[in-house]
Amino acid sequence: MLSPIVLVQIVVNGVGLAAIYILVALGFTLLFGIMRVVNFAHGAFAMLGGYALYYLYSIYDVPYLVAAPVAALFVAAAALVLERFVYRRFYQKMFQSMIALLGLDMAIASTALIIWDSHERSIKPAVSDILQLGGIIVPADKLVIVAVAAIALAAFYLFTHFTRAGLAMRAAAQDVETAEAQGIDTRVTYQLSFFIAIFMAALAGGFYGQTYALSPFMGERPLMMAFIVVILGGMGSIPGVALGGLLLGLGESFLSTFYGSSVSVFVSFGAVILLLVFRPWGLLGTPEK
Amino acid sequence: MDLRFGNFGFRAMRSLLAVSLTGAGLALATAPAVAQEELKIGAIAALSGGGTAWGLGLQRGVQLALDEANEAGGLKIGGKTYKLKLVVFDDQYNAAQAKVVADRLVTQEKAGFIFGPVGSPGALGSLPVTQPAKVLQFVEGYAPAILKNEWNAAYVFRISNSNREFAEPIVKWVKAKMPTVKKIGMIAPNDATGQAAVPILVEAYKKQGYEVWVDYYERGSKEFTPLLVRMLAQNVDLFELNSNAPGEAGLLLKQARQVGFKGPILQSGGSGVDEIIEVAGPLAEGFLKYDVIDNSLPAVSTLLKAYNKKYSGVFNGTSPIYYNAAHILLEAIRRADSLDTTKVRDELEKLGGYNAPIFGRVIWTGKQEYGNDHQLFHAFIIKEVKQGKGVVRDVVSSP
Amino acid sequence: MNTTTVSGLAAPRDGRALATGWPARIAIAGILALVILPLLPVGSFVLSIGTTAFITAIAAASLHLLIRTGHVSMGHAAFMGIGAYASVLVTMKLQLPFAAGLVAAFVAPAILALLIGPLVLRLAGKYFVLVTFLFGEIVRMVFVEWTTLTGGANGIPGVPPPHPRLLDPQAYYYFALGFAIVLIGFIARLLSSEIGRSIDAIREGENLAECSGVPVLRVKVCIFALSCGIVGIAGALQGHFIRYIDPTSFSMVQSLNLVVVNVIGGMYALVGPIIGTAFFMITPELLRDYVELQRVIFGIIIIVVIAFFPGGLVEIAQRRADALRGKRKVGP
Repeated sequence: MLSPIVLVQIVVNGVGLAAIYILVALGFTLLFGIMRVVNFAHGAFAMLGGYALYYLYSIYDVPYLVAAPVAALFVAAAALVLERFVYRRFYQKMFQSMIALLGLDMAIASTALIIWDSHERSIKPAVSDILQLGGIIVPADKLVIVAVAAIALAAFYLFTHFTRAGLAMRAAAQDVETAEAQGIDTRVTYQLSFFIAIFMAALAGGFYGQTYALSPFMGERPLMMAFIVVILGGMGSIPGVALGGLLLGLGESFLSTFYGSSVSVFVSFGAVILLLVFRPWGLLGTPEK
Repeated sequence: MDLRFGNFGFRAMRSLLAVSLTGAGLALATAPAVAQEELKIGAIAALSGGGTAWGLGLQRGVQLALDEANEAGGLKIGGKTYKLKLVVFDDQYNAAQAKVVADRLVTQEKAGFIFGPVGSPGALGSLPVTQPAKVLQFVEGYAPAILKNEWNAAYVFRISNSNREFAEPIVKWVKAKMPTVKKIGMIAPNDATGQAAVPILVEAYKKQGYEVWVDYYERGSKEFTPLLVRMLAQNVDLFELNSNAPGEAGLLLKQARQVGFKGPILQSGGSGVDEIIEVAGPLAEGFLKYDVIDNSLPAVSTLLKAYNKKYSGVFNGTSPIYYNAAHILLEAIRRADSLDTTKVRDELEKLGGYNAPIFGRVIWTGKQEYGNDHQLFHAFIIKEVKQGKGVVRDVVSSP
Repeated sequence: MNTTTVSGLAAPRDGRALATGWPARIAIAGILALVILPLLPVGSFVLSIGTTAFITAIAAASLHLLIRTGHVSMGHAAFMGIGAYASVLVTMKLQLPFAAGLVAAFVAPAILALLIGPLVLRLAGKYFVLVTFLFGEIVRMVFVEWTTLTGGANGIPGVPPPHPRLLDPQAYYYFALGFAIVLIGFIARLLSSEIGRSIDAIREGENLAECSGVPVLRVKVCIFALSCGIVGIAGALQGHFIRYIDPTSFSMVQSLNLVVVNVIGGMYALVGPIIGTAFFMITPELLRDYVELQRVIFGIIIIVVIAFFPGGLVEIAQRRADALRGKRKVGP
């Protein structure tokens, strides 16, 4: 079965998976890198992003290119209330944030259950073509996600390296006190980082809900994947997310195709554990003293 | 820290603590005050976690049946008229929790009749509570141990076909209708349902001379493309969705078509074709599915109307099963003219021939398989998706 | 910021104030109340809740022991599961008495902890959290996959009670209470001994502890093994109580619950997990008329407690006590 076509197909599938993982993990790693917050409610925001897109695009027929970003903007803007009353109390408190945000996740997902019921819905596809390139099959919706993930990564990189606000974010991530001494308003910087992170989560949730299905508990899986991608790449590292996402996506695609799903999960979890034991700061993270 | 908030939080916590203490005191002090005319019917349903969709379906199916009885003036037993009240507790789709809630229903709420929980782990966790207490329980998990156990299933009934009952007839149907199919491919959840149901289905296919390829995935997976590519390399003729939950079944269906699988896709098991169509969209066209309800029956459309009036959301396949079972129980109570669970149980066993609203004539089977006749046998349907709707293609009634 | 331990885990001043003096009297009063409770007409449901609470308290206290070294495990339920499966297999497959099952329930997870401990306990607290999280998932998957031994996802039904007379809920209540008193008492004794002081020294600063002659890694590995062995016993008690074991009872959700119990109750003193357990068992009872809102309210309570009382519910009691004392004498 190891024909070149199958191999290419496996790589294509792996990149498709990686793109989803990267999109979900970007915001997660940002929150950790800058505010040292382990956002266990990340999946909940992805879920909210999914429902926002559902209403805008499936119910109110807003054109897709408008609906997708607006849905994510809406969720991120609403989440600023939570930034004020919940998140702000847990900045720089890794462990407390983890448990408190677990509580937040529980509260949001259970509220969603009351509002939207448990059944799985689907968001109508924006593109439903299936491209065939010389025997290789690429569903167009996956192609969109790959493109968005690539753009998001590039935008992140440019933003954090070439804009004032982005540089302030990086400075705050490295050393809060020095950054403040240099005149950076960390409060605003944190708010901005939070906004971007939730925007990314909600955007990813929209794609996730559209590719798969929408339900109040749909956030659990993306959260788990984001968590693993970020551990693999290094907590807080953006290139790490790209590398971790690609490794995990390609690894899952190869292993599942050749050895089945159980082997794939065992091997990838085992590999991440070994990595943690010998290089706990991840592939591209920096060790903390 | 913002001091005002600190104070507010402190006060809130204090009053919460006070409430908890007095509440705990009250719970211990007051004996359960049962209103004379109220009869509590228990339900254990997953209302959070993985099985929520099924749990809600259960709760609503039973509730609708009880509503009907209440609207008709309540349940008359021994000269008294009872208003039926459903008491539901969440087992979080987990065995340990199912035991705790079963205990609560049995000893605190004094429920003599319990519906659920959905799925095998919860059922097996709650049986050690209900059986010695002689509380009648109605479940639908697939695990054989639900009926084959140390109590010989004295007070438990399985209220829908399990895989044991429908696997063989459906395989024979495939053989008759699709003669060119030689090899079956299955992708199954690695959970209690999958591990209990798939071996039985595989055995049934093998018995009819089919070659079968199976792979399992971890619950929670949403991307099956790699597994489907693996399956395609095996040259299977028919893709069998076995006991997958509706969400996963829909995704498997959609992604199988996306990677270019052209053969027939059939699901022998699971519940609810509507949710699958919702998830798979236009790619669901031509999909074949085992189902238990024929929407064209008047009883079903009445139920559907009542459901839509009271609840929002897709009509879950679990609802009619429990709705049907609730009617069976109420009829047995009427015939026993007593709330004594043993008497009701005996009437249930003798209920053969009663025309239940969804599945029709009640037939109990299972003696050969489990050592008791506590398995409801009912006809089933094979539906085909045509223009986005599940239409009845065949009715299969004999084993 | 202290990065060798999970940040924020360092105990505040007089963190152990509640472990001595008048709390001892409260503890004895509490135990007496629990002993008398079944003699009141409470019905077997309360006994069942009580039994579950004792088992949870043992598990939470064993996690507390580990947390005191500065390491929070997010895979503790996996070790609980290993204990449960070990005991059930020893009693059912090997037909040995429950006592042998109990020994297996302690030894099996403890040995596993001894094997992986030297590797994972080198890690700083936050990485330990991640490793145990993944490790717990792997163990759960082994329960699911190894069908010939564990019965797979369908688990093992028909688990015998430890003794035929323990089918009676009241008997099992006292049985579990006895275990809880002995095991939690043992942990309390350990924490107030010389070893307990080494543990606290390790949490406050590993390097300093090492310099003052504490064999840091060895102490941590031993405590980890002990903690996992005790939670294994809790697993066995649960398995033989519910009389059915399956992987869903020992998943990440349960591990997280144990952490939440510790955080809500308070992580700096052994009373924390006990108060946390009581809270965890009683809250759903109070909210039971709001089945759908239950999880929402519970989530909010978690946030509120952690935001305002990082020391958990214990801190509330402590502040009250401080306030009362403050009225009498003004002190620093």
